Amino acid sequence: MIEIQHAPHRKDENLLARRTFLRGAGVTMALPWMESLSGFGIGSASAAAANVQPQRFAVLFMGTGISPGRWWAKGTGAGMELSESLKPLEPFKAKINVIDGLFNKAATGQGIHPAMTGNMLSGVPIRRGSIIHGGITMDQVLANRIGQETLQPSMVLACERAMTGFHETNFSNAYSSHISWQSSESPVPNEMYPSLAFDSLFENGGRLRNTSILDRVKDHALALSGKVSATDKLKMEEYLASVREVERSIERMRTDKEKAEERARDAGRPMFAMKRPQDGLPEDIRDHIRLMCDIIALGFQTDKTRVASLVLARDLSALYYPFLGVSKQHHGASHYDTEEDYQKIVLFQVSQLAYLAQRLDAMPEGESTVLDNTCLLFLSNMWSGTKHDNKKVPVVTIGGLGGKLETGRALNYFESEDDNRKLCSLYLSIMDRMGVELAEFGDAKIRLAGF
Amino acid sequence: MKLTARRAGFLVLATMAFFSGVRGQQDARAELDGQFSRVVRPFVETYCITCHGKQQPAAQMDLSGLMTMSAFMQDGRRWLRMSERLEAGQMPPKGARQPTPQERHALVAWFHAVRAYETRANAGDPGVVLARRLSSEEYNYTIRDLTGVDIRPAREFPVDPANTAGFDNSGETLTMSSTLLKKYLAGAREVASHMYLKEKGFAFAPHPMLVETDRDKFAVQQIIDFYHQQNIDYADYFQTAWRFRHRAALGQPRATLAGLARQYGISAKYLETIWSSLESSEKVGPLVKLQAMWRALPGPQAAQPNAARAGCEEMRAYIARVRKKVEPRFINITAGPIGTAWQPLLIWKNRQYATHRRNFDPRQLQVEGEPPFNQRGVVEPEWDNAFGPGKTILVENEPDDPDLSVPAGQRVRYEAAWGRFCSVFPDMFYRESRGRNYFRTGRDEGRYLSAGFHNVMGYFRDDQPLYELILDAEQQATLDRMWREMDFVASINIRTYVEFAKLGTRGTRDDFKDGEPEVREIEVEDIISEAKLRKLEADYLEVAKGGSNVAIQAVRDFFDTASEGIGWVKRARRDAEASHLESLCNFASRAYRRPLSPADRADLLSFYREARERYGLDHEGAVRESIVLVLTSPKFSYRIDLLEGSGDIQPLSNFDLASRLSYFLWSSMPDKELMDHAASGDLGKPEIIKGQARRMLQDSRIRGLAVEFGGNWLGFRDFEQIGTVDRERFSSFNDELKEAMFEEPIHFLMDVFRHNRSILDFLYARDTFVNPVLARHYGMPPNESDKNVWVGIPDADRYDRGGILPMAAFLTKNAPGLRTSPVKRGYWVARNILGDQIPPPPPVVPELPVDEAKMDLPLRQMLERHRSDPSCAACHARFDSFGLALETFDPIGRRRTQDLAGRAVDARATFPGGIEGEGWKGIQKYIRDHREDDFVRSFSSKLLAYALGRSLTLSDDLLIQEIGRSLGKNGCCFETVIESIVTSRQFLNKRTRASDDQ
Repeated sequence: MIEIQHAPHRKDENLLARRTFLRGAGVTMALPWMESLSGFGIGSASAAAANVQPQRFAVLFMGTGISPGRWWAKGTGAGMELSESLKPLEPFKAKINVIDGLFNKAATGQGIHPAMTGNMLSGVPIRRGSIIHGGITMDQVLANRIGQETLQPSMVLACERAMTGFHETNFSNAYSSHISWQSSESPVPNEMYPSLAFDSLFENGGRLRNTSILDRVKDHALALSGKVSATDKLKMEEYLASVREVERSIERMRTDKEKAEERARDAGRPMFAMKRPQDGLPEDIRDHIRLMCDIIALGFQTDKTRVASLVLARDLSALYYPFLGVSKQHHGASHYDTEEDYQKIVLFQVSQLAYLAQRLDAMPEGESTVLDNTCLLFLSNMWSGTKHDNKKVPVVTIGGLGGKLETGRALNYFESEDDNRKLCSLYLSIMDRMGVELAEFGDAKIRLAGF
Repeated sequence: MKLTARRAGFLVLATMAFFSGVRGQQDARAELDGQFSRVVRPFVETYCITCHGKQQPAAQMDLSGLMTMSAFMQDGRRWLRMSERLEAGQMPPKGARQPTPQERHALVAWFHAVRAYETRANAGDPGVVLARRLSSEEYNYTIRDLTGVDIRPAREFPVDPANTAGFDNSGETLTMSSTLLKKYLAGAREVASHMYLKEKGFAFAPHPMLVETDRDKFAVQQIIDFYHQQNIDYADYFQTAWRFRHRAALGQPRATLAGLARQYGISAKYLETIWSSLESSEKVGPLVKLQAMWRALPGPQAAQPNAARAGCEEMRAYIARVRKKVEPRFINITAGPIGTAWQPLLIWKNRQYATHRRNFDPRQLQVEGEPPFNQRGVVEPEWDNAFGPGKTILVENEPDDPDLSVPAGQRVRYEAAWGRFCSVFPDMFYRESRGRNYFRTGRDEGRYLSAGFHNVMGYFRDDQPLYELILDAEQQATLDRMWREMDFVASINIRTYVEFAKLGTRGTRDDFKDGEPEVREIEVEDIISEAKLRKLEADYLEVAKGGSNVAIQAVRDFFDTASEGIGWVKRARRDAEASHLESLCNFASRAYRRPLSPADRADLLSFYREARERYGLDHEGAVRESIVLVLTSPKFSYRIDLLEGSGDIQPLSNFDLASRLSYFLWSSMPDKELMDHAASGDLGKPEIIKGQARRMLQDSRIRGLAVEFGGNWLGFRDFEQIGTVDRERFSSFNDELKEAMFEEPIHFLMDVFRHNRSILDFLYARDTFVNPVLARHYGMPPNESDKNVWVGIPDADRYDRGGILPMAAFLTKNAPGLRTSPVKRGYWVARNILGDQIPPPPPVVPELPVDEAKMDLPLRQMLERHRSDPSCAACHARFDSFGLALETFDPIGRRRTQDLAGRAVDARATFPGGIEGEGWKGIQKYIRDHREDDFVRSFSSKLLAYALGRSLTLSDDLLIQEIGRSLGKNGCCFETVIESIVTSRQFLNKRTRASDDQ
């Protein structure tokens, strides 16, 4: 299903366009569509001119913790020693950081599951009861900033359907299902369908839709012009001129995009390409996750997006892994997190992270690879699912953000004061290195020391 | 209303010109031309041009281009200013060469004659009112009235510039740009994202409806809100019944049960039920005791209107006490190996409770001679399952409970009596939230409408007593619709079933069971197909076959209900499509504010089809997209008056008139009643349009006029953005206070509008409006109500408030922070209230120190120094005095006797014309005695300019004078101005070509 080949010519536009209309989900639409399309195409003109490779960020989430006792790292760089659960990351040792001991204070003491999840990437207290209230998440902060350089500010993907309703703790199940929030009230819709996620990268639904609306309103203005006074005609002209200008800017974006693709071809870079996934949901979770990883890799390589989030398995996950010989559901298995069944699940999910890292690492970019210009962040909402324990949570980063982020380290903050081991401090540090410098974020005012 | 001599003279002249006829007009023009050369030009050259020449003209007033009569006439605004300053003796300034009194008089007379001539020449001309886009605020209000929810999509739009009249509602300044058009598109998408489809038509939610969790929240919340609106407090019902019993004594001899129910916000239907229960002849059982309590309620006493309340609450407590003793209990069931927490069995249990809320457990009655009842020996299956409903807590009554005792052999009779009592007084009217464990309450709040499943969503309806006893037929239909919308809008049934079905036959005791899933995460359509559903049912029945008949029936019921619900929503969605398109056309017609032409309709429907067929959107997506089209169209976003006949001046069409009226009074689209009048074509009739205007003044949307007109007239529209106050020095100034300051003039203005008060009340009123925050700020008696509660204070003058002059918003806005500013406050009075035209200050003016506490001299003395420079004095003499009189208010508008440096404040002032006064009451008196007509004229002019959406010209002068006269006759009532405006030629007509004279 996946093949490496040179970039194909654009597919029949209408066929693909048709699909982009199917669902509104998956792509952050929270920002005015046009603003989000300011610099289109591969390495926006300025970045290309300066020969600076763009930085990317993706967060991968797996619910209900890892296998405690089998998750650790020692040493540095190529000499790093990785625990059993982290073995799939062996080939990238020099490019990873294994960070132990961080936690999210706002997610503690409120109850289990949704209350431990809904603010993982925002660090703000979330509200119980029927009114959902959290905060913007760090991936969406990045989308609002660096995401503005690309076609899609971010991709928000999930391999498992969202739950609604309420958990027994009276927190909405939405908190368990969505890790990316654009505002305090609403999560960003998750895209579950690989085909639609793929389309969102290759056809700009917003552009086509807006073009057809502009066509119509132009007609409306012309029709009105025939029925108004001479002075009012001038006002209609003003409106028409604005419509035409917007149309021109859409057209400019289209040609910019074609030029960018051409540039990439001319540079002789082997482009990773994939066929459009079939409609519908893959029956096998392995296919599903891999397709989503491929789409992120493709989006990053072609610089159509620089920010992604992927729910591998949500909190309270109902995924099954029969191919692992595990008969329990993900969440059920997590209640026995010292047993082999759950370890198999953890190992499988870490392998998916490794798969995405390997994809990105196989994409040369300048002197390095796309992975080297990326930061992948893997995390869970708990350390132990058996104990519903989130006094610390597992964190791994992969990729060096173009040399801005030191890698090959095993860091442990568990013995630090609570104020010095916040997840939000880590987010501030990552955002700093991507040129998004905030005074504070979530519950943190300081950067993560020594990171 | 008093007229000053100067204004009266002017009126005489104007009136003379008015009656002089066309012939007279021509002669007058020739005469004026002659005088221009003989009198005006020499005067300007001699006395004015030195300062007001081409090079750095004083006050940015360059008169060098006005050396011919026609050039002069075309620049009306400028020569009006000249004439005012000259007439007031303010120009030429002291120290400059002065004309003789005769020269000055001759020029003033010429100005008056020109003005009269001009006014007459084009009186009543509607003037060019440009087509224009909606202003940002109009956009927000219109979306609110169009969708029914306040989305405010224009909050991201750029700020609109104001026209020369100070309003942002005219085509002179409301221009379009590509940036704004993009924002329109984004705004339209935002609004469309709130749309949800209903069984008939569509509507808009207060939040986006794209994500399932938002749809879910919406559907749940509207039911919860509905529940909470119902009064289910027994004591309120008893008290109202008591009022009915004593209706004559309480002074309402004609009161009916239904009428009182309405008056006291309770259900009329249930009140009838309660009344007949209380008045029925009951011989045995709990109702006997209740009736005795009812009869024992004290009668009304003059001093204690609520004499009976305590007794009513005791009755309520009695019901709660006895009702608890007979509550039914239902023990967990299982079906073979299938556990009690399994959805079909848990739902069975929910249903037992939900359908027995008006029943009771007869076994609890203690009949003499019968063995006592207890369930302690009952073995409950799975009582220890942590994920199930848990152990049933039994109702255990003490033996020999008098409430429950029944004489030997009387069981049947007593059961009937208890049945009647429990049927009227259910154990609960509705259950709004449910945890997974039935009897461990306190953990359930907020898990609204939940079925009580573990870790998966699921809802259950439990409101039978509310539905049957409280709701009338219409309310029942509403609640039924809302429950259907759980499915229609949020797909609850389908999604719950899919989650359930994914577990296959293993979703039994809890969700940690081992084994392969039988249904994988595939397309929903397949899982919910009838064949798959029945297959799963068969599988389950196979597993459950060892269970009791009740349990097996529960399984069948579960699948039947799921099938029925899923089938219904599929059918309903298909059937509703046509109504959605009809709704779309209605929506477009309301958005365009005129009937949809056949071409409009065809355009819209073809767009919808294109979205579906060419772009593959589903039905909902295509409707949403069509809404985006409607809201991006200039037919929505522009106010355009269409041409319907020929001629330079035409009457506005009825629909355009409806829009003009509603954007004037509401800053928003016309409502149905206005559109109905427009459709019947009678809106232009004076009586109709006046009646509509009066009706609209009473509507809450009149806030649009208070904020958009009042805010710009008085300059507080942007008050909430004020950033000058030093919050450390003025620690009481917080966001709440700021908001309250902003709201005060709005409440006052709305009160004037709605109660047809005199416009002079703006200046002289003794009352104002405060919320608790502002009351504290003003030193009024404390009031602990909510900050959203605004009350009128009739004797506000006791606290040095009343009308707009001493409102904190203006005193604060016109103070630079750490000191007051008599200059800014005075300028505000002169310009905004009295309508004085004051030229801008020269580029270099001396700065005053920023902090009052650090000044060597009082501000008043510093200003005196400033006024000693004659070039400054010419203007400052016109307004500083008003600001000095307001010195009794500190920089955030509190009363004070000392300034920030501790010096006593002195609020004495010499107002223009040498009139002495003190304090803000001194300003009131000065205006009343000398300037009232200036205020009236200024206010009418501003309101007219706002109503027309253009700057005024001389041709509007007669109308302004006419308004002034009508006001004089009608006690200056606000409606007089409104009626004069909406029936004026200007308002009812449209000029289709610019006239040459303008």
